[in-house]
Amino acid sequence: MRERFLTGYNDFVLPFVCGMLFVLTYCIVGMIRIIMQLPAQDRKRFFISLVTPKTMLKNIKDIFLKCLIHVDLWKRNKLLGYMHSSIAFGWFMLILVGHIEVLLYTSNLGAKALYYPIFFRYFVAETESTMKGSLIFFLMDFFLLVVLSGIVLAIIKRVRSRFFGMRRTTNPSFLDLVGLYSLWAIFPLRLLAESFTADISGGSFLTKSLNYVFTEFLSNHANMLPAWWAYSCALGIFFCVLPFTRYMHIPTEILLIPLRNAGIRIVNARKGLAKAQVYACPSCGLCIDACPMGVMKSNIKDTTVYLNRQIRRNNEARIEEISDKCLLCAKCTAVCPVGVEGDKLRIAQRSMRKYNFGPDYSNIDASVLSEQYNKFVINNNNDVTTADNQKVLYFTGCMTALTPAIRKATESIMAKAGVDYEIMDRDGGICCGRPMLMAGRFDQAKQMVEKNTEIIMNSGADTLLLSCPICYKIFMEHYRLPGIRIIHHTQFMDELISSGRLKVRKDNIKYVFHDPCELGRGCGIYEQPRNVLSAAGMLVEAAKNRKESICCGGSLGSLTLSFEKRKAMTENAISNLTAASPDRIVTACPLCMNTFGRYADRPVEDIAQVVDRYSDSGRKTSGKHADKTN
Amino acid sequence: MDFGFKISPSSAVNLDNVNVEKFEQLHSVEPDVYKCMACGSCSSTCPANRFSGMSMRKVILALQRGKEKEAISMMRNCMLCGKCSMVCPRGINTRHLILSISRIYKEDGK
Amino acid sequence: MKENIVIIGGGIAGLESAARLIDLGYKPIIIEKSDHLGGHVADWNCLFPDMTPAREVVNRLIVSSADANIFLNTEISFVNKLKDSYNIMLSNGISIITKIILFTTGFSVFDASKKEEYGYGIYDQVITNRDLEHWFNTGDDKRVNNCGMNAVGFVHCVGSRDEKARNPQCSKVCCITAVKQAIELKQKFPEAMVYCFYMDLRMFGKKYEDFYIGAQRDYGIRFIRGRVSEVSENIDGRVIVKAEDTLSGKPVKVTLDLLVLMAGMVCNSDSTKVAGMVGLPLDSDGFLKSKDNVADIIDSPREGIFYAGACTGPKTVPETLAEARAAALKIHLFIKSLQ
Repeated sequence: MRERFLTGYNDFVLPFVCGMLFVLTYCIVGMIRIIMQLPAQDRKRFFISLVTPKTMLKNIKDIFLKCLIHVDLWKRNKLLGYMHSSIAFGWFMLILVGHIEVLLYTSNLGAKALYYPIFFRYFVAETESTMKGSLIFFLMDFFLLVVLSGIVLAIIKRVRSRFFGMRRTTNPSFLDLVGLYSLWAIFPLRLLAESFTADISGGSFLTKSLNYVFTEFLSNHANMLPAWWAYSCALGIFFCVLPFTRYMHIPTEILLIPLRNAGIRIVNARKGLAKAQVYACPSCGLCIDACPMGVMKSNIKDTTVYLNRQIRRNNEARIEEISDKCLLCAKCTAVCPVGVEGDKLRIAQRSMRKYNFGPDYSNIDASVLSEQYNKFVINNNNDVTTADNQKVLYFTGCMTALTPAIRKATESIMAKAGVDYEIMDRDGGICCGRPMLMAGRFDQAKQMVEKNTEIIMNSGADTLLLSCPICYKIFMEHYRLPGIRIIHHTQFMDELISSGRLKVRKDNIKYVFHDPCELGRGCGIYEQPRNVLSAAGMLVEAAKNRKESICCGGSLGSLTLSFEKRKAMTENAISNLTAASPDRIVTACPLCMNTFGRYADRPVEDIAQVVDRYSDSGRKTSGKHADKTN
Repeated sequence: MDFGFKISPSSAVNLDNVNVEKFEQLHSVEPDVYKCMACGSCSSTCPANRFSGMSMRKVILALQRGKEKEAISMMRNCMLCGKCSMVCPRGINTRHLILSISRIYKEDGK
Repeated sequence: MKENIVIIGGGIAGLESAARLIDLGYKPIIIEKSDHLGGHVADWNCLFPDMTPAREVVNRLIVSSADANIFLNTEISFVNKLKDSYNIMLSNGISIITKIILFTTGFSVFDASKKEEYGYGIYDQVITNRDLEHWFNTGDDKRVNNCGMNAVGFVHCVGSRDEKARNPQCSKVCCITAVKQAIELKQKFPEAMVYCFYMDLRMFGKKYEDFYIGAQRDYGIRFIRGRVSEVSENIDGRVIVKAEDTLSGKPVKVTLDLLVLMAGMVCNSDSTKVAGMVGLPLDSDGFLKSKDNVADIIDSPREGIFYAGACTGPKTVPETLAEARAAALKIHLFIKSLQ
């Protein structure tokens, strides 16, 4: 091994060095800013998580699996996964092996350390006679080939996205295109540059072979320098535009992963975690096909990827439009490979709105509302608390008042199972607060949460039953009800059936279950409703289900979508549900039921109605409330 | 001279004197506000009605008649629950209408 | 006189035009999907404004159209367009070649269970206008409590003037029907309070206003201007109705023994199906589209195809009969023009 030039320097390294220094400074400053923007408490939590061995290991694992291997993409789409991991992992290995090579063969680097690992072949002539040498040559060429294969796929994807199973991809901005083309150029140029020097400083199957095949051209060392210049320029351009393009996601994701693992939530709409998420968006466009609004072409520019782009551009008018339109079904969050929370990000934007006045509930006397139902007698003499003597407070919620079938069926089931229950809001009550929260008015939502908490804590109940997933989500996330179990009626029925308190007859009717956004993606309840339905009939699945379930279109999440504009979304969701031609569509949300009922070509019902129709009491004696509903 | 009684101010709405500027501003962002046919579905289903007399029908009417203060005091206990949107036979997006009113009008009704 | 004339639908429009065509010397063919003639009117008890028994009207029409070729329990399987005529294949295997088709396919009553908040099919005390007529005819409906009827309510505009029910149009006849049924119930249960929850009362026809005045003055029926928003059930099984009394600006709540939903008129899905087979367009209200909504309401945009009755929109019985006669004349003139 020998150095080809005494100085170990050539002007062509300048574009690269400048770009590199620029991007490093930009990223470090950006990272410090994001961390400083976190609320003090979160920042502390973040630092602690960085030194906690468990989260530390998880961070390393996640960064390796997500940023380099792109496991999430592999799971969704093998070809897309290969494309991304070949470029990311291949490039990473080129850098790593390049550094190892430099460390192995050179000493006292000094400033040369900046560019030597990148342009090693130009400056150093090496022999492949040693085992070590030929292995490194081979590895470098191998990983270069891996990256090149990824680049070829990327070019195909740009031209024909359908080849990758993607219906729609994003429209790149101008700078994105500059970044894209310079990224594509880097690796072929590297191959070219290294091929020129392959006969001097060595190479392996790729570079050496190329050098032999095109001897005429490549052995002419006069052509060598321009190739190295071009290579360095491509790198330099890429690094210079990187902060202003989608490729900013590469460094940002490395920060986002530890932030997420530290359990930090979005507080400020534009700062801290929100900012990290916006910059971590790779503009891959998976959210475009996922978005239920996408059935109407006019809504495509209102998907999360465009929200991120507009936030980066500070286009306030568009940010407001995009964030208010969204149904908050959170499907984009579920499919996002980097973990951008499209729904939470939008709620945060909504919370920035200035209103001249807002509701205030201090005048509402919670004790009056508590008098609407009979309080449970708190009996401390019971030594054992069995399922039989649980005291259930049923909060039907606003939407269930408009779908009396759900309330009636749920009451009937409880009567059959002999459950001791009371309805908290038979004559109306206070909203759970979730719709207010979705509108971004946190203080008002908090007031409602406090009022309801007071009513519930005074009831003497030990279980709070909800038949509306919208309520269920906020009760699970924002209510503190010590000693009271919060349960959705799908879970409750599943328990009643499995414990034998409710006997369900099986029929051969084909049901499909629609996972309501707030219950499935929102609270992770997928199995219980399926258990229940399987007990009563034949369960078939929708084309897209569970985490990928399609919003019914009736969501309260959207503030601006008009009634007529939701129709296409509902029809699309219905055609998804009826893929396996079920006899009936079953859901577990009053709003979904109401929305589907309007356009469906077959019966739509709540899961409680199905259970009520096919169930008998599992007990000999009838319950206390049996007379109420029969 | 005080005779112990005064002429009480007329309770009639004089449409000549109503300032419609704010309402026009509201109408430009919420074109559907004129679609209301005053059926009262929203009022009777509203959970806030019992607390602050909230009635979307009355709010729309009061704003058109220049009684902003009255409208805003009704909205005091609105919970944004969306029941009114669900029952409205004319498909008015009442939730967004409420938010728009809170942005355009001021608490003192001015 | 050899031309085939196919009348799709054996309701009053079909029967009346068949009778008039017979008078003109033709032998029309009536295709009826159900097992009886007379359509919706045959299910009704009395007709406003003179309380004419519906049975009488239908029977008279059946007698006068008896010479027509009538296929009951028959549907149209498909229609082929030939050069200047249509080949209609029936579900009983018969095929008819004709140059003239008259659509008298009528309407469907809105499915009230789609308005979930009113609890039709969920609460035992909630019925529709159609169920009530059936009860008037047969006296057989478990939901109507013959002895203890203290309060009855009528909800106007169920599935009409309602974008949420996918029908923003007014069904036209429900206002007067509700007034008629309210009077009939009051006659049967003089002690009961009868409420009508309306948005607007549209008393457009001959003597309708008299009917309305009679309901107010002679029967004491309470008209409340407000649309019902929620119906719930109390412990003893009666229904509680919530609405806003928009005239006083106060919410009202009333407990009822019977709630009658005035289900509106929507386009018959079989009608749209057959219309699709011959390429007839639908108007924006969901009913069949006429050539012109003022001058040519009974003409379709296609030559040789005519309409009569509620297939082009909600209509009263006299309007339907008038259209049926007009259609018979149009068909006669059309056949003349072919010769």
